[in-house]
Amino acid sequence: MDSNQLFSSYEKLPSTWDEMYCDNSEFRKHYTGFIEYLKNTSPEKLTKKEDLSKQLFMSQGVTFTVYNDNEGIEKIFPFDIVPRIITAEEWDKIEKGIKQRLKALNLFIKDIYNEQFIIKDGLIPAELIYSCPNFLREMKGVKVPYDVYVHISGVDLIRNNDGEFYVLEDNLRTPSGVSYMLENREISKRLFPGVLPKSNVRSVSNYPNMLYKKLKELSDKTDPNIVLLTPGIYNSAYYEHTTLARLMGIELVEGSDLVVKNHFVYMKTTNGLKQVDVIYRRVDDDFLDPLEFNATSVLGVAGIMSVYRKGNVNIVNAPGTGIADDKAIYIYVPDMIKYYLNEEPILKNIETYQLGLPEDFEYVVKNIKTMVIKKTDGSGGYGMLMGHEATEAEIKDYIDNVKKNPSGFIAQPILRLSTAPCYINGQLSPRCIDLRPFALCGKDGIDICPGGLTRVALKKGSLVVNSSQGGGSKDTWVLQ
Amino acid sequence: MLSRVANNLIWLDRYMERGNGILSLLKVNFYANQDSPELFSWTPIINNFTTSENEFYTEDAIECIDFMVLNSGNSNSILNIVTKARENARSVQEHISKELWLCINNYYLYLTDKDLSRRLREEDPVQFLEDLRKHHLIYYGTADITQERGPADNFMNVGKYLERVIQISDFTAIKLIEIGKTTDSLEKGFYWKNLLLSVGGYQLYLKTHKSTFNEDHIISLVFQDKLFPRSVYYCVNKLNWHINQLIESNQLEKNNLEFLLGKLESTIKYTTIESINEQGLNNYIGSIKDDIRNISMNINSVYFSNTN
Repeated sequence: MDSNQLFSSYEKLPSTWDEMYCDNSEFRKHYTGFIEYLKNTSPEKLTKKEDLSKQLFMSQGVTFTVYNDNEGIEKIFPFDIVPRIITAEEWDKIEKGIKQRLKALNLFIKDIYNEQFIIKDGLIPAELIYSCPNFLREMKGVKVPYDVYVHISGVDLIRNNDGEFYVLEDNLRTPSGVSYMLENREISKRLFPGVLPKSNVRSVSNYPNMLYKKLKELSDKTDPNIVLLTPGIYNSAYYEHTTLARLMGIELVEGSDLVVKNHFVYMKTTNGLKQVDVIYRRVDDDFLDPLEFNATSVLGVAGIMSVYRKGNVNIVNAPGTGIADDKAIYIYVPDMIKYYLNEEPILKNIETYQLGLPEDFEYVVKNIKTMVIKKTDGSGGYGMLMGHEATEAEIKDYIDNVKKNPSGFIAQPILRLSTAPCYINGQLSPRCIDLRPFALCGKDGIDICPGGLTRVALKKGSLVVNSSQGGGSKDTWVLQ
Repeated sequence: MLSRVANNLIWLDRYMERGNGILSLLKVNFYANQDSPELFSWTPIINNFTTSENEFYTEDAIECIDFMVLNSGNSNSILNIVTKARENARSVQEHISKELWLCINNYYLYLTDKDLSRRLREEDPVQFLEDLRKHHLIYYGTADITQERGPADNFMNVGKYLERVIQISDFTAIKLIEIGKTTDSLEKGFYWKNLLLSVGGYQLYLKTHKSTFNEDHIISLVFQDKLFPRSVYYCVNKLNWHINQLIESNQLEKNNLEFLLGKLESTIKYTTIESINEQGLNNYIGSIKDDIRNISMNINSVYFSNTN
């Protein structure tokens, strides 16, 4: 088969930004190097590479287990071999925009759990904050090192048909996917030998060191005991927890390995109790401490919040950061940037309607076919209504449900997510993508790893990139 | 080291050792069963590795191998053992070498391949067992050259040698029951030879004693030999060494352990063949198993104590 046929059946979606093609069906300049490579590689060879990538994920154990009838089946997160490429200028703007946003969000969280100037100045209504399930009263007045609450974040960006990046959500709690950023790159190195260095792609491999540095600086000790708290092997991100612990050389612990005694946290070791200084937790707030939150949780540690409030242990991210990535709060982030930083937002928000407001509600119902409705405290692509593909009955049911608690929902116009070429059944086809760069905040500012997780909706025409709903991922190349 | 991690490391190697032993036993019994099915039935093997609730019995070689290797309802099937070993390895990845983790992960993927059951039925069953066993040999080698010496390695070895002593004792006990049923000295000889093959000591026995099967020599090789890595004495000696390393590095408390191990080691070393015969091999094995159970419980207490 002629390798030019790879491109011949590429049907661009109407009024959608394509990452590889300009409007006039010419390739964008930053893709030409990789396109050259594709043109010189037969589809047979590409298919072999695709198979190889699957095998590599399996044999390296980059898998999650799905349990069915007591039988565990190993699954891989689908991977598309064609990398997504971002130019240095594009990255520069993304980097500045995310830094600005995180700076404002950290200030907002500090403000909300302390003086609450933003409420007193009338920017955000108090009832919105207090009705948010992710607002933790337990965090009121708690001092955290360097005033950093969100140490690790994974802001989701999408590119609209105007070519601009928009923030979809901020993910300030326990964002996952960074291990796929690292692993996808390792796979690309083996699939396309020599292509990465020739293309001047920035390396992502320093991420674990950056993360370790941020965790370490939270303790005054020269050699603090840092651990990663996982919910355990049944968690779908368990692979990521083991990988990060291994790459940082820190202990991977489960809730039952930790115990609180005399206002300190200890881990149970073969030679007695050993004090823990910093906990990178991948357990949600709700499960962190059965004494203060969900009393039935066995994933957390009883009494840990009281140790935390005394300053005897550091928890990363701080509990209560969920207040800032609630979908109802999202609307106010551009205002926060102006309020706290006196700057214009670099990255745009998606226009968002609060269904709690009667005029917004009315507008959304009238334009339902072009809208997506989401729960303010939802995530993972669950509980959404995509207006353009829902039936009349589904819309009616959903709206009836919204009416019970309108302020628990927001709506956004359905955006045209940009498309990138994917290798599917021996040909390149456009599929919708987003981008999750990973940012680390610490005492010396914010570092963003030059890369990220590009998620892709592998189903034709789908706009949902979530891994739980048929999404996959791509390696993300940021050029120098 | 976290107590949970120590416990997982012990069990990682216990499971891998058990798998290796079961596969050897299956292969040896397969050959023997093809020769004389009346002497080498599959039932004692199934009995030894299942609980009293098990209702599955077969005298069909392929059915039995399928049950012992691939049956997901048999908690000691190779599939289940390796799944558990992998789960243990997965949760202690930062303590074992990456190569060792990949090795066990690949073994697991090999076992869960849907084609495996067909291969057992349509191809050479001995090759089938050997292909599986190769994964254990790779595991031993990988652990040896990639795992740093220290507490993690010590705990893994504790698991390995504990399991090995239990297996040798069990295999011998199985044969003793069969031997007790016959008065024919030729048949007895078959059983003894079969025991040597099962623990992998046949070649060494021939080298040392040529092709004459003397019970005392066999017992002495299986229980007392200093250089044979699958003799009880050798294993207890290694167990002692690793446990002492752990005591020295403060990973284990002395309490009873040192005493129990010292006692067991010298019992094995200084009991003569005459006195074993006097008390009966069965009783002798019984007392070794009791001691091993005591030692194992003492080590387990590490996991459950240290909470305050």
